[in-house]
Amino acid sequence: MKGKTLVIRLAVLAAVIAVAAVMMVIGRGHTIYLDNKTIEDYQGQEYKSFERVVVTVDGEEAAKLNKRERGMATCMGQSFTMTLEITEKKGDEPRTEVVTVDLPYSVDGIVINLPALLAGLPEDAWYSEFVPQVQEEDEEPLPGEGDAFGLEGDMGLEGDMGLEGDLGV
Amino acid sequence: MKLKKNFDGLDFLQNNLVPLMFIIICAVCIPLSGFSASYLINEIVTRMGRNIFLILSLLIPIMAGMGLNFGMTLGAMAGQVALIFVTDWQIWGIPGVVLAMILSVPVSVLLGLLCGKLMNMAKGREMILGYMMNYFVTGLYQLVVLYFMASIIPIRHASIRLPRGFGIRTTVNLANMRQCLDNEFAILYKGVKIPVLNFIIIGVMCLIIIWFRRTKLGQDMRAVGQDMEVAQAAGINVDRTRIISIIISTVFAGFGQIIYLQNIGNFPTYTAHSQIGMFCIAALLVGGASVEKASIGNVFLGVILFHTMFIVAPRAGVAITGDAMIGEYFRVFVSYGVITLALVMYEIKKRRARSQGGELLAQAQRARREGGAQS
Repeated sequence: MKGKTLVIRLAVLAAVIAVAAVMMVIGRGHTIYLDNKTIEDYQGQEYKSFERVVVTVDGEEAAKLNKRERGMATCMGQSFTMTLEITEKKGDEPRTEVVTVDLPYSVDGIVINLPALLAGLPEDAWYSEFVPQVQEEDEEPLPGEGDAFGLEGDMGLEGDMGLEGDLGV
Repeated sequence: MKLKKNFDGLDFLQNNLVPLMFIIICAVCIPLSGFSASYLINEIVTRMGRNIFLILSLLIPIMAGMGLNFGMTLGAMAGQVALIFVTDWQIWGIPGVVLAMILSVPVSVLLGLLCGKLMNMAKGREMILGYMMNYFVTGLYQLVVLYFMASIIPIRHASIRLPRGFGIRTTVNLANMRQCLDNEFAILYKGVKIPVLNFIIIGVMCLIIIWFRRTKLGQDMRAVGQDMEVAQAAGINVDRTRIISIIISTVFAGFGQIIYLQNIGNFPTYTAHSQIGMFCIAALLVGGASVEKASIGNVFLGVILFHTMFIVAPRAGVAITGDAMIGEYFRVFVSYGVITLALVMYEIKKRRARSQGGELLAQAQRARREGGAQS
């Protein structure tokens, strides 16, 4: 009986760990930055930006990009599918493409260059990691710092306690 | 055949004094506040989805005779620690909530075990011990979150790290999981958003509590709650049963805090847990529960009445006195007042029962003496 109980407990524990692992994979969030910018020199060739790209993710319009613009979309999981409505040049009929990109687990922000991606170039041409700029910030007040009893400052004793002027004399 | 007891108005009034008082307060304040019915119902429904799980976590220790579990704050802290990790690992949405719940369990179990063991050393003083435990564990929590995180415990994201390089910022942003449970399967009906998934979770929790009461462990807890000595004599391991009840309560409180915070969308890292126990206990008492008896019905009624007062009090305060702060003071005063009233009533009842028991014993002894003298 004891052995059976132990087996059941271990099985439950394993199931919970498995669920946690699945959650970590399917719930991993990424921010994807979509660039419609010209790549000027990739192996001696230029890949021009599109006139206009409309990016749709899960049926919702995520970005409308003109030349040299950047859009943003968020995504959960390890692959990102978007529908692109591309207008190559002014006056052209827009064409639609569905593109799926595999996302690396460890990267939060991913920059995708759309002209390079759609030209079928290797990953290093269209993919880069988004590194946010670190800003110098003021220190935040933390619990326990300063006067712990809320008696900061002058404790209401600063000034002349209403004894201004000539004291009625 | 069960005989129907005669209705005793005074007895009913005594037993339901707090809910009746709140019904009257709400009946007066609702028209004064001037809120539309749909706004008011929407607010109450949202708060029900947000708070009920937390309050349900208080029922099991009451069943085991351990009173109002002020130590539920320990579970709330465990939930917050789990949310910090999930935010750092960038797990979003419902998977983030589920993962946070799983991660909170070991911390909650550990804290619940510690709390339960200490409560067994101070039987009869569980509530004050639980209350003081909050302060002790809050210190421990601050030490871990303020100094160990990002120095000993790895935290990658600068967005939640303090600018000095270690410790967690004073506010953790949960934007990527904000209202993910509330919005899933939500129904919008005449301006009222019904968070269906939240209510399903609450419903499942209610069923678990009902089922648990009928299990062997649940029966043991009720026996321990009624009389520890009798339960011990009947072969129940009283200490173990009490510890289990506190562990279950702490784990559920951790889940409840995660559900609560995902609805809010951010949390003040060092203070989010501090008042949660107090407000949950106040809401339960407003629903007609007492230190020794509480039901699922008390939880629902308590949340509706307590939060109706929370919503309407500031506006009613403006209407009556021209100052919203009066309403604010009033609701804080009422929250603490209702807990005090419940504790006083509990003590009076206990003393009355003790003196009645003493009188019965004296009568029995007198009768025995007289019987002995006659023979």
